[in-house]
Amino acid sequence: MKLRLALLSLTALGALTFAAQAEDLKIGLASAQTGTLAFGDQPSLAGLQLAVDEINAAGGFGGKYKAVLDVKDTRSDTAATVQAAQELVASGINILITPCDADPSIAAGQISQPAKVVTFTFCGTTPTITSAVGDFMFGTYPADNAQATVLADYAHEKGYKTAYILKSPDSAYTLKLPEYFQQVFTKKGGTIAGEGTYSMGQQDFAAEVTKIKSLSPQPDVVMTSAYEPDFPAFIKQLRAAGVTSPVLGSDGIDTPTVAGLGDVVDGVIHSSAGLPSPGTPLETFAKKFTEKTGKPFDTVYIANGYEIGLIIDAAVKAAGSLDPQALRDAVANLKDVEGVTGKITYAGTDRMPSRDIALVEMKGGSRSLVKTVTPNPADVPAP
Amino acid sequence: MLGGLGVSRESLISGLMLAAIVAVAALVTGFAFGANGERIATLFLIYLCAVLSISVFTGGSGITSFGHAAFMGIGAYVSGILTMPKALQVSALPQLPAFLAGHETGIVVAVLAVAAAGLIAGLITGVPVARLGGSSASIATLALLIIIHVILNGAREITRGSQTFYGVPRLTTLLTALIFAMAFILIARLFRDTGPGLRLRATRENDVAAQACGVSLFQVRYIGWILSAMLGALAGALYGHFLGAFSPKDFYFDLTFLLIAMLIVGGMLTVTGAIVGTALITAVIQILRLAEGGIDLGFVHIPVIFGLTQLGLGMALLLTIWRRPLGIVGLQELGPKLKALVATAPAETPAKPASSDKSLSVASLSKRFGGLQACDDLSFTIARGKVTGLIGPNGAGKTTLVNLICGQLKPDRGTVMIDGENMVGRAPHLIAKAGLGRTFQAIKLFDRMTVLENVTVAALTIESNLSAARKAAETLLARLDLAREAQRLAGTLAYGERRRLEIARALALKPRYLLLDEPAAGMNPVETEALKSMLDRIRHDFDLGLLVIEHDMHLIMRLCDHIVVINKGQKIAEGAPAAIRRDPKVIEAYIGAAPETEISPSTPSTGGVKNETAIGIA
Repeated sequence: MKLRLALLSLTALGALTFAAQAEDLKIGLASAQTGTLAFGDQPSLAGLQLAVDEINAAGGFGGKYKAVLDVKDTRSDTAATVQAAQELVASGINILITPCDADPSIAAGQISQPAKVVTFTFCGTTPTITSAVGDFMFGTYPADNAQATVLADYAHEKGYKTAYILKSPDSAYTLKLPEYFQQVFTKKGGTIAGEGTYSMGQQDFAAEVTKIKSLSPQPDVVMTSAYEPDFPAFIKQLRAAGVTSPVLGSDGIDTPTVAGLGDVVDGVIHSSAGLPSPGTPLETFAKKFTEKTGKPFDTVYIANGYEIGLIIDAAVKAAGSLDPQALRDAVANLKDVEGVTGKITYAGTDRMPSRDIALVEMKGGSRSLVKTVTPNPADVPAP
Repeated sequence: MLGGLGVSRESLISGLMLAAIVAVAALVTGFAFGANGERIATLFLIYLCAVLSISVFTGGSGITSFGHAAFMGIGAYVSGILTMPKALQVSALPQLPAFLAGHETGIVVAVLAVAAAGLIAGLITGVPVARLGGSSASIATLALLIIIHVILNGAREITRGSQTFYGVPRLTTLLTALIFAMAFILIARLFRDTGPGLRLRATRENDVAAQACGVSLFQVRYIGWILSAMLGALAGALYGHFLGAFSPKDFYFDLTFLLIAMLIVGGMLTVTGAIVGTALITAVIQILRLAEGGIDLGFVHIPVIFGLTQLGLGMALLLTIWRRPLGIVGLQELGPKLKALVATAPAETPAKPASSDKSLSVASLSKRFGGLQACDDLSFTIARGKVTGLIGPNGAGKTTLVNLICGQLKPDRGTVMIDGENMVGRAPHLIAKAGLGRTFQAIKLFDRMTVLENVTVAALTIESNLSAARKAAETLLARLDLAREAQRLAGTLAYGERRRLEIARALALKPRYLLLDEPAAGMNPVETEALKSMLDRIRHDFDLGLLVIEHDMHLIMRLCDHIVVINKGQKIAEGAPAAIRRDPKVIEAYIGAAPETEISPSTPSTGGVKNETAIGIA
């Protein structure tokens, strides 16, 4: 009981220290800085922090509001995210930012939506996040269905007629992304030669590989949204079995370790939020980030976090005030916001933005840009 | 209703005290410290319900369950589907089977449905868990967690699979959580002291001894598991209505780890422990959460360090396991001090029925282990009211024989008849119920239960209800001069008292035959003498047929009416003590040769030393 009292006095103390100025833009983050989602939330926060510092230094958001960040770690736990979101919303924030995953984002959104707090998921890619919550919820990262569309378009352009898809029911990302791909690919005239499922972390892909190997004729392309550690295990066993069909992947394998697998991933093409190839704005940003923070630009999530800062800035400018409804409407009507990975548009979408998606090819341990595409909204399958 | 369960006033008071403390703490936190306090209190109460659901089974059976997060998942989904607004359900769950769709029930109907779902899940999953024991059962619960997780992921029409299940009304307020928690505390606390709860705890302490007291391991574990699964599903519904949106991974390893950590830190064995552990871990998490966000106290500034909560949780767990393996609370429930029994004089001596024709008889009993014939065609009879001794050198097959008679082993051939009924093939607890009590060579008490509870467990096998069993146990303790120790933990008794308690426990079965496996081992001559007179007394008072396995020849020769000698699995002699003493085969078996020697009744006992050759030269 003593501990409880100590805890409570600390709570009271904590509440006092976070008092921000009335005319500040208060951004609350119920963010997974530790745990399984930290891979996306940590770099996203680093990017956002840089954007906030820059914009504050340049006169504030919309030219007049200094932003204050209040970060609460959710430990990648949904219950902790709910608690953090409740605290933040109660403390009077203007913007809420939620983790890189649908569960905590929707759970937190169900709290911020009735309170009319504009909410962004850091890098949740499930397209249902926004429709599940309501009109105050926004995504920023390229959604699963948009990525799948870009990949299917590419397969179609390359003249692939048959595809094999490999999916896992263990997560929405590993299940739905290949299914979206299937929808677009078959709509454009392709056929599915077969499909396999795996359990995340299973390591042994012998059964799935044998199934692909036994297909006659061999599929023109193999598509999967598997990521580490499943993708490396799968691709090694696939190539070892002598299957030479090209492989398409998604942004889950956009990591240095996958590129570092060597020969087996040569020629693998995957979607990405952006590639800092020479001459691109993203490369310029990457250099600036390293210069200012002293940290390497090792993932595109940093750019995504930075772009959230730019999106908020543009919205505050358009709204001219911090009025919740005005701010929401401003975000929903943003068009062609100049980000570091390309242009970002919310107008005309269901609040998962329309934005550029890069297709990159791995070869010799590094990546090169194949092309950058903005998916045609008419082609993107409904979530 | 409580009277019907036979739950004592003390456990009811203890349950009410615990519920009241939790209620006061939660309400003070909730109302005096504003919205933040209310949220913390609500979350604490939800976790408390979940931890208590595990505690009902794990605390009772000693089998750590890793499967309860899955039951919580089942509860959360069932309640979520039933209470979801119709309009939302159409868009969130377009493929929901018609019989589940569009109910939009209130909380009461949902709670009943969740309890039913938990009951069904418990009935199904309990079969493997209750059949296994110890760590294999734990691993089975882990497998259940994985299987139910896969099913929740696979039932996409109902659960949206691995995608977020959203639109669950956020019904869990401080008040609902408090009502649930108080009910859970009472149920968990009272269950411990009901018949099944008591017997379940006995299986935790020693499963072989529990069977010998007539406890069906499967039955009591099954009951505990089902109750605990129902509570788990209800706690899950509470949790689901707090989250509002979730997916199967929210009811998987992370949640399991957190709940088990709470249970271990507080102490698995008590309800008080579950409460303390949950409160402490919640407090650690909430305090460190504040600290890691960075605190400016004016004079010092603590920088932002994320990960402190995880670290704190790990440290709390590590410290507990290292410093207090039984958890902070240990063995003692919070509650009124239990009254010692008044050492009442033994009531009536039970009427002695004429029973000279009744017997326990072993015929052609054989058992082979690979190349070793441990028991070879053994036949003998234990008569009611008589003491039969069983002797033989080390490795003679005595232990195997005992295990065959008690049902721990199944014979290859032969029969064990109790008063004309064949016991072969019956489970040990049924043989105990049929009238065979026993003690063990190495004393097997329920160490972390009270003396009274030890005896009550056995009395429950034959008495119709808990109050009658407790009364019978109290009477027995008085007769065996243990009444003053009734409320002590059995593990704290002195050696002689432990032996006496084991006999008292066996007598609580009102057995017709009592098998004593080396009752004098470790006793000095004075204690042995006291034992002998006690055995003489109880065999008359209770009209028992005694089978005594003993190395103390002094005791055997004076106590027994009839002696059976076995060696290398075979019976080599049988008869009155005087005849056995002079039997050349017996002498040869004991010392290898020399037919002139005689086993001497005057050889003093060697105390605790395993004395195989208490033999003197005539």
